[in-house]
Amino acid sequence: MTLSVFRAIHTAVSPHSLIFRRSRASFCCSVNRPSSSSSAVSATPVSTVRIPLFLREATGTATISELHAWRKWAQTLVSSVGSKFEDADNGPGPELLCREIRWMLEDVVEANLDVVNRLSDETAFGKDGDVVRLRAGLDELYCLWEERIEKRRPFQYLVGCDHWRDLVVCVQEGVLIPRPETEMIVDMVEEVVSRDKRLAEGIWADLGTGSGALGIGIARILRNGGKVVATDISEVAISVASFNVNRYGLQDKIELRQGSWFEPLEDVKGKLSGLVSNPPYIPSMNIAGLQAEVGQHEPRLALDGGKDGLDYLLHLCENSALALESGGFFAFETNGGSQSKFIADVMTNRSNFSFRDVKIVADLSGIQRFVTGFRQ
Amino acid sequence: MSTATILRSATLISSKLFTSAATKRSILFQTRLPLRAAALSVGSSSDDGGGGRNYLMLSDEQLMGQCEMDTFKASGPGGQHRNKRESAVRLKHIPTGVIAQATEDRSQHKNRASALARMRTMLALKVRNELDLESYTPPLELLQILPRKSTIREADVGPQIGPNNPKFALGMQALLDLMVAVNGSVSDAAKLLGLSTGALSRLILSDDSLRREVNELRESKGMRPLK
Ligand SMILES: C[S@@+](CC[C@H](N)C(=O)[O-])C[C@H]1O[C@@H](n2cnc3c(N)ncnc32)[C@H](O)[C@@H]1O
Repeated sequence: MTLSVFRAIHTAVSPHSLIFRRSRASFCCSVNRPSSSSSAVSATPVSTVRIPLFLREATGTATISELHAWRKWAQTLVSSVGSKFEDADNGPGPELLCREIRWMLEDVVEANLDVVNRLSDETAFGKDGDVVRLRAGLDELYCLWEERIEKRRPFQYLVGCDHWRDLVVCVQEGVLIPRPETEMIVDMVEEVVSRDKRLAEGIWADLGTGSGALGIGIARILRNGGKVVATDISEVAISVASFNVNRYGLQDKIELRQGSWFEPLEDVKGKLSGLVSNPPYIPSMNIAGLQAEVGQHEPRLALDGGKDGLDYLLHLCENSALALESGGFFAFETNGGSQSKFIADVMTNRSNFSFRDVKIVADLSGIQRFVTGFRQ
Repeated sequence: MSTATILRSATLISSKLFTSAATKRSILFQTRLPLRAAALSVGSSSDDGGGGRNYLMLSDEQLMGQCEMDTFKASGPGGQHRNKRESAVRLKHIPTGVIAQATEDRSQHKNRASALARMRTMLALKVRNELDLESYTPPLELLQILPRKSTIREADVGPQIGPNNPKFALGMQALLDLMVAVNGSVSDAAKLLGLSTGALSRLILSDDSLRREVNELRESKGMRPLK
């Protein structure tokens, strides 16, 4: 089976890909841009969100041997890639890609894992006529994997979700795929609120919430009375985030607001118990060299932090003192190294001493990833 | 404190962990690596069977507290730069130096949980409790993994616990302790457990890591591996 054969067959657009209107192309990156009216999102525009594979109804079918053939084909594509992606831009290698094939089957096959396990059993090949139900047509599976390899479309966009912490967060083009590093911010918040009940019952803000991952992770550890206000300037992000918030039944705990950074937070100014953000922090000049999955598929709006990558982080620093209540906690994700040193220095020495216990916290690979501290 | 651990690497965390008067001793059994002695205790004052066993008795949180966590070597700046599902987690159990890792789950969180579960198995496999054969009676967790036909297994021990049960690790550890004490002899151990040699062999062969550990021990004593 060659790629081109399948390319010819698989041209139909999936009924689920109601593609989003791209977010306002004219968006201006300056944090000082005049405020567009920020609005709270109440009704959920779920219709515009693409339903991830694992949540779709299983309307397709395939035999075990057909799935086996798909898996073999997908692995052949992976072997033809070899270490090409790794060498080109530090992209995924064969081991990871093969793992993705398995994960994709886990999301698509409506059956217990036994079936997926059986697919890797060589003796089952060609003989097994058992029919299993699929959440995507076999055609679509071929299409999707072809996109993975040919276009380097990120795996999480193919399946429409990302496993993040103990959550499964829906994602789609236009929204950043939450990173494993960011999981740690929730751990830090958990520690802080376990020590201070007042913070656990207060209002928290997640600025630039994207898929809503951080906001949801935090809302789930706050106590009764605790709330999260999550903001983003991107319409797609707000829609996807509200889909995720609903899926976790957190409508009463998380309020989504569209707008730029602190603009939608006027009414809670000075009242925040906590403020977390993973703002775009990649220096503009590094955007072009990003691995294809990121640079060519994820929204630049979520990545580009301006000349030194510091534009938005500094904006967060400048406004946190006014946003947080006394004793309030902040945690920002950074690009690491000199960026976190710089931000820690700003929060310690150039904030009229508004903050205490400012710390740099390393991620699990030892990169100085986060800056945290408390409002005096 | 009456437990002590002989470690592969003598990483001493703090002097308060030193203990000299060891009645029962647990040693880290590593056939390929030279053993180096360093006395450490588990920090639990209740002594119910030695350091290695104590580790397995800890709650997830307590055990995690004894571990150092990291991911694999950082390739590049990570964070927003990367889409590589670098969610692999490696745990290092500081008191013993035992390492466990997990890479196949999709989130770091789940990999952490898997790595911790694997850490329990690794500790069961690698940390030995010394025992006195003269006064030996098998602990309950060992009886629980024995087949019902064992003559020393009373009915109230309950159903046999198999390798897929998380409780198997404790029994496996106790069995390995015994195997070390009898210098790898399956027939000697079988006698003490009220089983035929064949039945005990089958039990050992039922779990890959258990079989590997026993065979490493047997090879180090110049015996034929179980097949
Ligand atoms: C690196 S992403 C983080 C997304 C999410 N918090 C996460 O960790 O997965 C940065 C987010 O900031 C948002 N953003 C960019 N400019 C913004 C602005 N001016 N105001 C609010 N959010 C903005 C982007 O849309 C994007 O969702």
